[in-house]
Amino acid sequence: MAENKNRYSGNVKVQGSIMYNLHLTAEQLEIRDMVRDFVTHELKPVVLKADRLDVGDRSLPMALLDKASQLGLRTLSLAEDHGGAGADQLTCCTVTEELAAGDAGIAATFAETSRLAKILFGGAMTDAQHARFLPLFAENDRCHLALANHEPGNDESLGVNYHRPVPAADDIKTVAARSDDGGWIVNGVKDCVANAPVAGLIAVAAKIPGQADAGILVIQTDTPGLSVRAHEGAWHHGPCGEVTFKNCRVPAANLLGGETAELLAADERSGRGNALMQAVNLGIGRAAYEAAIDYAKLRVQGGRPIAEHQAIGTKLADIAVKLEVARAAVWRAAWACDHPEAYADRSLSDLPLQTIAQVFTRQAMLEAAKDAAEVFGAMGVMRDIPMQKYAHDARVSLHGSDSNREAKLRIAEALLGYRRPALAIAAE
Amino acid sequence: MDFALSNEQRDWQITARKFADEEIRPISLARDAIPTARETFDWEIVKKGSKLGFRTLAVPKEYGGHGTDFVTQALVMAELARADSAISKTFSQNWKWSHLISHACTDEQKDRFLRPFVADDTFLLGKGISEPSAGSDNRLPPADDPKAGLKLRAERKGDEWILNGEKCFIANAPVGKLFFIDARTDPSAPLKQGTTMFLVPRDTPGFRIGKVFNKSGWRFYQNGEMIFENARVPHANVVGQINGATRKAGGGGDDTTGGDIFGDLELCANALGICDDACQVAMRHARAVKQGGRYLFEQQIVQLQINKMYMLTEALRSFVLRVAWEHDMKVRSCNAGLAMNFSTDVVQQVTELYMDVRGVEGCVMDHHSDKLVRDSFIWSHLAGDTVQRMKVARRLS
Repeated sequence: MAENKNRYSGNVKVQGSIMYNLHLTAEQLEIRDMVRDFVTHELKPVVLKADRLDVGDRSLPMALLDKASQLGLRTLSLAEDHGGAGADQLTCCTVTEELAAGDAGIAATFAETSRLAKILFGGAMTDAQHARFLPLFAENDRCHLALANHEPGNDESLGVNYHRPVPAADDIKTVAARSDDGGWIVNGVKDCVANAPVAGLIAVAAKIPGQADAGILVIQTDTPGLSVRAHEGAWHHGPCGEVTFKNCRVPAANLLGGETAELLAADERSGRGNALMQAVNLGIGRAAYEAAIDYAKLRVQGGRPIAEHQAIGTKLADIAVKLEVARAAVWRAAWACDHPEAYADRSLSDLPLQTIAQVFTRQAMLEAAKDAAEVFGAMGVMRDIPMQKYAHDARVSLHGSDSNREAKLRIAEALLGYRRPALAIAAE
Repeated sequence: MDFALSNEQRDWQITARKFADEEIRPISLARDAIPTARETFDWEIVKKGSKLGFRTLAVPKEYGGHGTDFVTQALVMAELARADSAISKTFSQNWKWSHLISHACTDEQKDRFLRPFVADDTFLLGKGISEPSAGSDNRLPPADDPKAGLKLRAERKGDEWILNGEKCFIANAPVGKLFFIDARTDPSAPLKQGTTMFLVPRDTPGFRIGKVFNKSGWRFYQNGEMIFENARVPHANVVGQINGATRKAGGGGDDTTGGDIFGDLELCANALGICDDACQVAMRHARAVKQGGRYLFEQQIVQLQINKMYMLTEALRSFVLRVAWEHDMKVRSCNAGLAMNFSTDVVQQVTELYMDVRGVEGCVMDHHSDKLVRDSFIWSHLAGDTVQRMKVARRLS
């Protein structure tokens, strides 16, 4: 894991200091300001139109996604010599927050693509695979990436298995079988796949008959036999959907190396995706906060702008406190992803900092969005102002994937140093 | 102390529960899901409920209503809200203003307005106070800004008053037949000394309804704009004294309760219904759904969440019924306001816990828990929750 990190960091252009240092580099500031400018002048005017605020019907403004891709956001963490910006995790989080202050869904879409690009193109592919897939990805603004690793009905929550070995489960039902021509025939269904409706390439985990470990195949979404159905009204930032493989024929060369599953698992363990999701969440809270501040300065009741009343002033202060503390936690979690050596020399505690940031940020941003909405009085519940979108998005952050209940169980296991046996007891 | 309900109170409670289970709950989620605000409303449920007495529950018996006490009203509101908070509010909104008619109107006005209200299953009531630039200012008029507050102007011309201006967020505006309207009759005086209340029928010339507000919660409940362009209201429709709107209800002080303070009881009783619903479904869900091969309820953390939901709900029930009882006993206190403030905290905590107990299935949130959270969100925005808290504190002082 450390080896891979070093391999990427050698290519990083935009990089924080090795010491814990909150001074963003000139490059980090530049890219943050560029994204902020894009959000203010191009994204917000489109995504905050009343007809796009309805939580049940948020079509993606594809022209703006193209523009964001051209700014380099799709390939932000992809290594520089692969055509990306090679940004480290802290930079990715600051950029993601900016983008999410405009639209959480769009920010999550780009964060996921950029995260997967770093893993898939960074270590999982052979040279031949690289030569085939990288141009497909890098040269097409509309080519997003998705990882299909969840199957309908699979329950990955810790829950009752807190501090207990998890009973063995054969949870991958999707199968990739050898075809006569030496390729693969894939059959199965994956659901809750982030980015599936906009993905050009999907990495899918499938059982291979005769092999113990599942394999990871990269499949172009226009392959016959692969179909995507978007989950309407899903509690998820960004598009997500169900991917069905029905006798989907895939060239033999699409199977990634055996270490890919471990690369993906290591990324999951590192909390990198989690930190990015909390950056999305910060963006939601900040958008709500900025809207509330603007309104509180304009709206006059009680003979003065309501911001000048104690009740509203302290409400805004509460929001600011939550935002700043949450950002500190998220940045620290992001920095920790970039600096595994800081765990090794005990500069950082060995607790799951990303999960800790997640628990605090999710709850705090929901409270912040609720408080910000209250500043708007009766208007704060109307669907045709952005505030309701922010409140809904904050609820999606808190409840959309696993709950804080689950996250706290994971922290508790870590506090106690519990190590789940790698292979669970099949028969007891 | 005696917490027992009378037979009559229990009968109303059971009738309401049956109506809620059999008629309201089956339509609740479908109505909530309708995307256009104006189309969420359903006259059939109003008519059915009206025939059972839920529209006229608070009208005195001598005018053909049911003359129930406040404890009954609280029980019925909670039962109806258990199936749909917004539909419960649509009924109880009429009680608030039928209380006001009984307390503040002359006999002649009661004959003219209360009798047709009782006779017509589709006759709904509302009251217009808020305006685009006057919300909190109407509740807590600032001492240093006498011009603050509502601006809708009423000028006398012979036997008529001419009204000009607009109201917003007005409950039942799009569906009501009669409204109390607060208008400025002395623009040079502060709000409390310069405002008069009028009875304005829907068909008043020069009066029309504007847009229907598209809320995230309470979707069934209709809140609309009111537009007055030289609207002509007969002098006979003035309620109480000219420039005396805020002295309505004949009581002043902590009225028990001719109108506004009923609204405090109304909100906390309605919140109680949502909490009851959330507790019941959370428990059912936790005992029916398995995770990792065992019922969700077997997890300590889920038991603690459900305990908290019930604990808060039962505390709210005690508070609601005490306030209702105090109203029946004509006890003057600030408890109704405090109970309303408390209910905001409770209903939001309980519904958020409920959502947490449920979680997403696949990646979709259950519609019911989403609705309860959105409905309870409304409490922070009703008549300015923070303002209501300060107002109660000032009453206490």
